[in-house]
Amino acid sequence: MLPSRTVAQTDLEYQVKAAFLLNFAKFVEWPSNAFADSDSPVAICILGKDPFGRAIDDLVQGEQANGRKLIVRRMNELPTPRACQVVFAEGSTKDVAKTLNGLGRSVLTVGEGGSFLRDGGIIAFVIENRRVRFDINQTAAETAALKLSSKLLSVARSIEK
Amino acid sequence: MSKRLRLMWLFVLLLPAARGDDPQQATPDQTGPAALKNLSLEELSQIEVTSPSKEPTPAFRSPVAIYVITGDDIRRSGVTTIPDALRLAPGVEVAQIDGSKWAIGIRGFGTRLSRSVLVLIDGRTVYTPLFAGTYWEVQDTLLEDIDRIEVIRGPGGTIWGPNAVDGVINIITKSTQDTKGVFASTGGGNVKQGFFNFRYGGGGDGGDGPTYRVYAKGFTRGPEDHPDGNNFDDWRGIQSGFRIDWPGGSRDAFTLQGDAYQQEDGEQVTATTYTPPATQNVVGNEELSGANLLFKWKRTLSEGNDFQLQTYYDRTNRLEPNLGEDRDTGDIDVLARTKWGTRQELLYGAGARVSNGRFDEVVSGLVFSPLHRTDYLISGFLEDDINLVTGKLMLTLGSKLLRTNYTGVNFEPSARLMWTPNDKQTFWASFTHALRTPSDGEDDFYLSSFIGDAPNGTPTFARFNANPNFAPEQLNAYEVGYRQLIGKNLYLDVAGFFNHYHDLFSEDITGGFSIQSTLPYPAPAPPPTYLLLPAQFQNDLYGATYGGEIAPEWRPTKFWRLRGSYSFLRISLKQAPTTEIAIGPASDNGSSPQHQASFDSSFDIAKKLQLDLIYRYVSALPAQGVRAYSTGDARIGYQFSKYVGFSLVGQNLFQPDHVEYIGDPGGPVFIQRSVYASLYLVKK
Repeated sequence: MLPSRTVAQTDLEYQVKAAFLLNFAKFVEWPSNAFADSDSPVAICILGKDPFGRAIDDLVQGEQANGRKLIVRRMNELPTPRACQVVFAEGSTKDVAKTLNGLGRSVLTVGEGGSFLRDGGIIAFVIENRRVRFDINQTAAETAALKLSSKLLSVARSIEK
Repeated sequence: MSKRLRLMWLFVLLLPAARGDDPQQATPDQTGPAALKNLSLEELSQIEVTSPSKEPTPAFRSPVAIYVITGDDIRRSGVTTIPDALRLAPGVEVAQIDGSKWAIGIRGFGTRLSRSVLVLIDGRTVYTPLFAGTYWEVQDTLLEDIDRIEVIRGPGGTIWGPNAVDGVINIITKSTQDTKGVFASTGGGNVKQGFFNFRYGGGGDGGDGPTYRVYAKGFTRGPEDHPDGNNFDDWRGIQSGFRIDWPGGSRDAFTLQGDAYQQEDGEQVTATTYTPPATQNVVGNEELSGANLLFKWKRTLSEGNDFQLQTYYDRTNRLEPNLGEDRDTGDIDVLARTKWGTRQELLYGAGARVSNGRFDEVVSGLVFSPLHRTDYLISGFLEDDINLVTGKLMLTLGSKLLRTNYTGVNFEPSARLMWTPNDKQTFWASFTHALRTPSDGEDDFYLSSFIGDAPNGTPTFARFNANPNFAPEQLNAYEVGYRQLIGKNLYLDVAGFFNHYHDLFSEDITGGFSIQSTLPYPAPAPPPTYLLLPAQFQNDLYGATYGGEIAPEWRPTKFWRLRGSYSFLRISLKQAPTTEIAIGPASDNGSSPQHQASFDSSFDIAKKLQLDLIYRYVSALPAQGVRAYSTGDARIGYQFSKYVGFSLVGQNLFQPDHVEYIGDPGGPVFIQRSVYASLYLVKK
């Protein structure tokens, strides 16, 4: 009647979230001033705890977004401006609002759980009906000068304006 | 069927793919970064990544021998009953006895009542304490709304309820969020003469509102083949039910569901009485009915910490030609999951069940004394999942504890180790101690059988007398398993086991013949003088079973899936010395097939056309004189408009009929080749 927690339960959830991050990078357009120069890659930065492991590196390998190479970075302190275009903060991160404030302007912030959007994040993953879904804060995206593809908006579970 | 035809069937399954163009929906089996990369946003949104904390994660990595039969597998195989659906899992013996009865077992001990397998529907135990088993003919629901059936071979570890000895079968229906709209189907065939199914689901407008469904189904089936022309086993029934799911804010979820059914099925039983005629084979109808109501509440406290409460009421009424029983059962369970430190997760819970049975004596040879009995059961469990090496090595330690009105407090400890060196392989090993608690059928039950008339005309009976000291049957199970993803499309699952049993159920002769003129339980009048051979259900068998299962799965293309399974089982039971056993170990040893194999091909010929072919082989049951057989099923499904489809299903196609199990007193019943057609409507 009752469950068994297994090693891989987290794995599949984060493999799917990694795949979503790849898709977000492809379905979002950054302004050109979000990059250091025309050759800079689109960097997905994992801030703090890394729940993805190798899954995200394998996924991102050889991929492109916005006509640029796609890479993954991991860091424990706030990134320098324009070093990251996507910042992912895992669900148990403390002081989320403060962290988000310390990022550059045109960063796609992705997090987990119900309060992430209230803290100023742009996309929040939620688990609904055993599936990975996401909510979008469209106002925050506009403030960040990010253009979200209508494809992305149509698949989102909810959009807050 | 000729050997050549059988070989051709296998060949057809292996034919190279015809053109097809509809991608299969992504399933958890297709994960791994490479496969996920190619999925669209919509497809990613459909992948199920967690299970409700009630069930083990049915994925690739689980330190139990688990196989998940998906709702899609059930629909595409064309089966119409839950017992037939269970054939899709390896290691499960499913033998049809007659039109409405099956002998089912996991890793041996397949009997009509499946006494050592725990069976649940949406968390409600459907095992009867009367005979320690499950009456399969009344376990039904709308098959279209079954999300999956999780079949665990072996005791399954700490977390399952009492009497999970040789396996656990957990039938899980879909959330009402996934069953919105109308589903209706109707059809019939030569054996499954007619059926209808209907469901309507709705709700959920405005995001947070409750979602619900209601359903009704009915069927009538004709008898199987009887060489003596005694076609008693027709079967008909109706069933209806509902379910409501409410999210109560972001932290709570509630579910209320219930079903009610009524059935009539024919059976042939031996009625033994102490007044002449002493014994008769009686053909009659079983009148079966029942209802249940189940409530669940789940609260998420934080990530990885949650709590669940479940309570249900279940009522069953059975009136058979030789016995009658009405039973009310109430149950409440709580379960909690909390993270402990950075490496551990604790699961713990407790439950209580009360079951009140009222027995009607229909014939004097089959009696429960007392006629009215309340059984209770209290259980608890604690399990610690320890990540010894995060992401790679996990140790699970736990124990159930159990107390019933028949036993003192018993512990059932379990230890499991799982090693996942990379995301393509899993190795696991486990030890579990499990027990099956005594039932009314051992402790309170008097069963007489007529042996014959002595030379002077005195009737002679053997009588199995109630044994209030019947002890729980005990199992020490040692299991190992291995799973491997090979490339992107090939998956292999292997499991092996060694089960060491003691105190197994035995039917012992306890004395010599004697002359009697009374009965050991209240009777309306004293019987005429008779000769008695006393017997009793005791715990004098012991021994071991061992074997393994291997189940490969291969998706050569997106629209074609092939699966196989092979199960091997050896039973070696002995009787304790200095006992005299009426039905000995040879019966258990020879009533389960040593080899079972199956192979199926699931093929999307075109966007609207599906073809499924299933082959199965079951080796002989020497103790019953049942020969080995192989047979096949086929289903063609065609979607001819947006909402309406059609399917044609053939079952047991290789022979006009064959025997699978002899479980009725009148001799073997032959299961026929059958065909049915069905029209269905799905409008979401």
